[in-house]
Amino acid sequence: MPYHEFECSKCIPERKKHAVVKGPGEDLTHALPLGYLNTIPGSISERGCAYCGAKHVIGTPMKDVIHLSHGPTGCTYDTWQTKRYISDNDNFQLKYTFASDVKEKHIVFGAEKVLKQNIIEAFKAFPDIKRMTIYQTCATALIGDDVDAIADEVMEEMPEVDIFVCNSPGFAGPSQSGGHHKINIAWIKKKVGTVEPKITSDYVINYVGEYNIQGDQEVMLDYFKRMGVQVLSTFTGNGSYDELKGMHRAHLNVLECARSAEYICNELKVKYGIPRLDIEGFGFEPLSSSLRKIGLFFGIEERAQAIIDEETARWKPELDWYKERLKGKKVCLWPGGSKLWHWAHVIHEEMGVEVVSVYTKFGHQGDMEKGIARCEEGALAVDDPNELEGLEAMMTLKPDVIFTGKRPGEVAKKIRVPYLNAHAYHNGPYKGYEGWVRFARDIYNAIYSPIHQLAHLDISKDEIPTGAGFQTAKMLSDVNLSEEVVSSSILRQYTGKYDSVSDLRQKTYPEFKQ
Amino acid sequence: MSCEIKQKERVGTINPIFTCQPAGAQYVSIGVKDCIGIVHGGQGCVMFVRLLISQHLKESFEIASSSLHEDGAVFGALNRVEEAVDVLLMRYPHVKIIPIITTCSTEVIGDDVDGVVIKLNEGLLQEKYAGREVHLIPIHTPSFVGSMVSGYDVAVRDFIRYFAKKDKTSEKINLITGWVNPGDVTALKHLLSEMQIEANVLFEIESFDSPLMPDGNSVSYGNTTIDDLTQTGNALGTIALNRYEGGKAAAFLEKEFDIPAIIGPTPIGIRNTDTFLQNLTRMTGKPIPESLVRERGIAIDALTDLTHLFFADKKVAIYGNPDLVIGLAEFCLDLEMKPVLLLLGDDNLAYPNDPRIQALKEKVDYEMEIITNADFWELENRIKNEGLELDLILGHSKGRFIAIDNNIPMVRVGFPTYDRAGLYRHPVVGYAGAIWLAEEIANTLFTDMEHKHNKEWILNVW
Amino acid sequence: MEDLKERIALLEDYIMKKCLWQFHSRAWDRKTQNDNILMKATQLLCDEPVGLETPLDRCYWADALSLTEGFQSRFEWLAALSKEEIKELMEGLKERIDFVTITGSLNAELTDPRY
Repeated sequence: MPYHEFECSKCIPERKKHAVVKGPGEDLTHALPLGYLNTIPGSISERGCAYCGAKHVIGTPMKDVIHLSHGPTGCTYDTWQTKRYISDNDNFQLKYTFASDVKEKHIVFGAEKVLKQNIIEAFKAFPDIKRMTIYQTCATALIGDDVDAIADEVMEEMPEVDIFVCNSPGFAGPSQSGGHHKINIAWIKKKVGTVEPKITSDYVINYVGEYNIQGDQEVMLDYFKRMGVQVLSTFTGNGSYDELKGMHRAHLNVLECARSAEYICNELKVKYGIPRLDIEGFGFEPLSSSLRKIGLFFGIEERAQAIIDEETARWKPELDWYKERLKGKKVCLWPGGSKLWHWAHVIHEEMGVEVVSVYTKFGHQGDMEKGIARCEEGALAVDDPNELEGLEAMMTLKPDVIFTGKRPGEVAKKIRVPYLNAHAYHNGPYKGYEGWVRFARDIYNAIYSPIHQLAHLDISKDEIPTGAGFQTAKMLSDVNLSEEVVSSSILRQYTGKYDSVSDLRQKTYPEFKQ
Repeated sequence: MSCEIKQKERVGTINPIFTCQPAGAQYVSIGVKDCIGIVHGGQGCVMFVRLLISQHLKESFEIASSSLHEDGAVFGALNRVEEAVDVLLMRYPHVKIIPIITTCSTEVIGDDVDGVVIKLNEGLLQEKYAGREVHLIPIHTPSFVGSMVSGYDVAVRDFIRYFAKKDKTSEKINLITGWVNPGDVTALKHLLSEMQIEANVLFEIESFDSPLMPDGNSVSYGNTTIDDLTQTGNALGTIALNRYEGGKAAAFLEKEFDIPAIIGPTPIGIRNTDTFLQNLTRMTGKPIPESLVRERGIAIDALTDLTHLFFADKKVAIYGNPDLVIGLAEFCLDLEMKPVLLLLGDDNLAYPNDPRIQALKEKVDYEMEIITNADFWELENRIKNEGLELDLILGHSKGRFIAIDNNIPMVRVGFPTYDRAGLYRHPVVGYAGAIWLAEEIANTLFTDMEHKHNKEWILNVW
Repeated sequence: MEDLKERIALLEDYIMKKCLWQFHSRAWDRKTQNDNILMKATQLLCDEPVGLETPLDRCYWADALSLTEGFQSRFEWLAALSKEEIKELMEGLKERIDFVTITGSLNAELTDPRY
């Protein structure tokens, strides 16, 4: 597995060990990109900071909490309304964000007093919310404010409130991953075990590393409820603060995004003996196998099987419609962390696309191990990519579509590569059986967009087809398909609704005897 | 019955209207050609600002970070600035200008950015990059001072202070636009062209609305050049349209090079555009041509269709960048509407003395509040808990849920406007901007009337 | 022997592409995971009793059973192997998985004493 040297990064030789090509017959012991190392200054990396890793990625999806950042307003503003983690309480956590608004005088004289005033003001403004998380930022970490002491003081004075303090300033680590780690460890140390939850089932799990992007968590919760499994807490998407304090009473930790949340699972295993089961909500086979494993663990595998059979029968013909049309399309799978391994193999197997490159903005070597293990030979794997490397890779690999973040997606657009949002999704959720079809549908719509085809034409030079007033995606995608596929009475396009989540909130579930 | 100006009483911020200073400096930096800024601080200070700008403009811009990590926070991180400059210069051969933009963290640890620039100028640039034109510009934008607005103001001044030279006389004027959209620049350039005035437009950001070309160009950037910045020192005069976004630079040029400065008004609405054109005439001696009389006529014609029938007495709340908010409020008054609440999202002590705010204070004949250091809770709390009734909200996308949840029609204006398509392409300044704003407001009100079945039939015979 | 190697490679590829349990974040966890899951998988393939006393056992077993089901549905030749052959195969597989994920792994974080 040779290291891959980008032309644009020859002058920064330390980058060489951050990219490899998966060679034929080679395995992970031949080469592995370096990971989670300090970023090279000035390289125009895509990484964020440890504050955002704690506050924006993991903290804020908790839905019934005042999220207060102790610092100037910028950190708060910048990490507000840039994600799609919804909740079933009217998106309180999306709509409201709080900053202690530290100003110059506070930097000089200390900001603890203003923090305390802030806490009281915030609770006063939202009298129904009794929980708060306070996030340290660079400025207040550097001036040495004792946030924990202030939180304790307030909790003493206001016994009805509970405050969690997360000390993860922006500089605390090479990337947002530093913040994932800090908030995981802080939560288990400070909050887990302080509430005794009500147990209503013989089968109790924590759903960990799931952020309810466009409703992912609610889709998965639907399956768990249909199995009669009690989800004690979700860490943290659509999750509730008090429920998360009772994590220690679960029988099983079911882990999705190991990158951001394996720490708490590992600690729960050590401290409370709760097993960690890594599962996947993406893709028919991985999801089915995950549900089955949970079923097996509790001895209710037949309940899992019923769901698997029903959902597969309902949605597989739709997935396969897209698979026929996506076969062989080249994909750059360039997400932040976990999706590089969640998706690398299953999009190949279930949608027929070829993953020509994976990258991770903030992943560790463990993520690369999983990602490289799961992609096919020849794929280019890059750790902490930067602007020029991304461009070079796209120019060389000529992908048909790229899965990445919003801003890098704009870069791809300009070199005429369609993009899908790997973090927030286009029209998600992407988890669950239906979600996986939605993902396939989005990929299909991106690749076969008639406008995308027009972007490649130069009206001053090229021969311009003038006979047609329009084209459809299907006209483009079905050109080379066999008659059998085109006129199949089994395969069909996606038939779900624009909003596939809200209805789940009204659903009732069978009662299982305890 | 009067207009009251006061600071928000709470100390904290619930839903901020502005981000912090470095963001403003970054927005300036992308307007300059062959320039990539380095933000000296944590990576989030860049990553999120790039995201924010790309949300607004649906384009990606290059801005670098010194990537402050734990060791740097403890021991100082100037070495990372040095490395960042080197890495950037090596990999981006076209780059000539590197502003080094500080943040709260690197200001708190006291990194001597000015010192490191001297060191780099004498060392690295001479040793490794001899013969290459490179300008390093320290820009101090600690996040705990001011806001993105003052960050913009500071950065414009610092760019101009760095480059401006007086070595000849020029008939050109400097036009400092303030924090605007590509569509505004197009509209302003159109007015200048009709007046046959040559102007150095700062910043030249029409190209932010960049095309998707068949050859696959990849990077969007502004087009203000080193020469443009240098020539600011030779100008006939400076007009800074926005007092708080470019006013500092105009004042600097006046003080340093005796270049007469006119600061304001933000040419939003007919009246302010008239004043702007008068100012241009005053500065250049060029008359206002018939073509603009006609354009103005088209605008007035369009507005007349709307004002007393639809706009009269509508209560409006406006938030965002101060010059924009004031300009919009003035325009609303001309349109017979009643701006009842203006929210300025930072604590600039100059606001109460702003002549435009003074004028509102003296002349408004109904209850109007102007809140400084405001956050969105100042608006939302009034609506939810204090009975404020509004017909319209004018402001940027971050306040969208107030409008959505309280069923108040809202016209997106300012920065950022990511929840509406293509707004950066439309002007709010000039006569064209007056038309666009008024018609956007009208159509938004119409849609709301239909959605709520609130006298929607009135439009049958309009 | 070549045959065995090839078969091990097929099973290894299956684990690498379909499973996550072998990639816990620390060497000691990977060791426990590999030991327990592959032991239980061997027992399942050989129709031997599998210990399910503790929750951890049940969790290993769930992964092991899912694995063996996958093996059996994909690799029909498994059915023809004797218990001894299966044990030899699984021992070889265990060696490979340990090597790829632990002893030969280039992941520098595996030995970090803290999570």
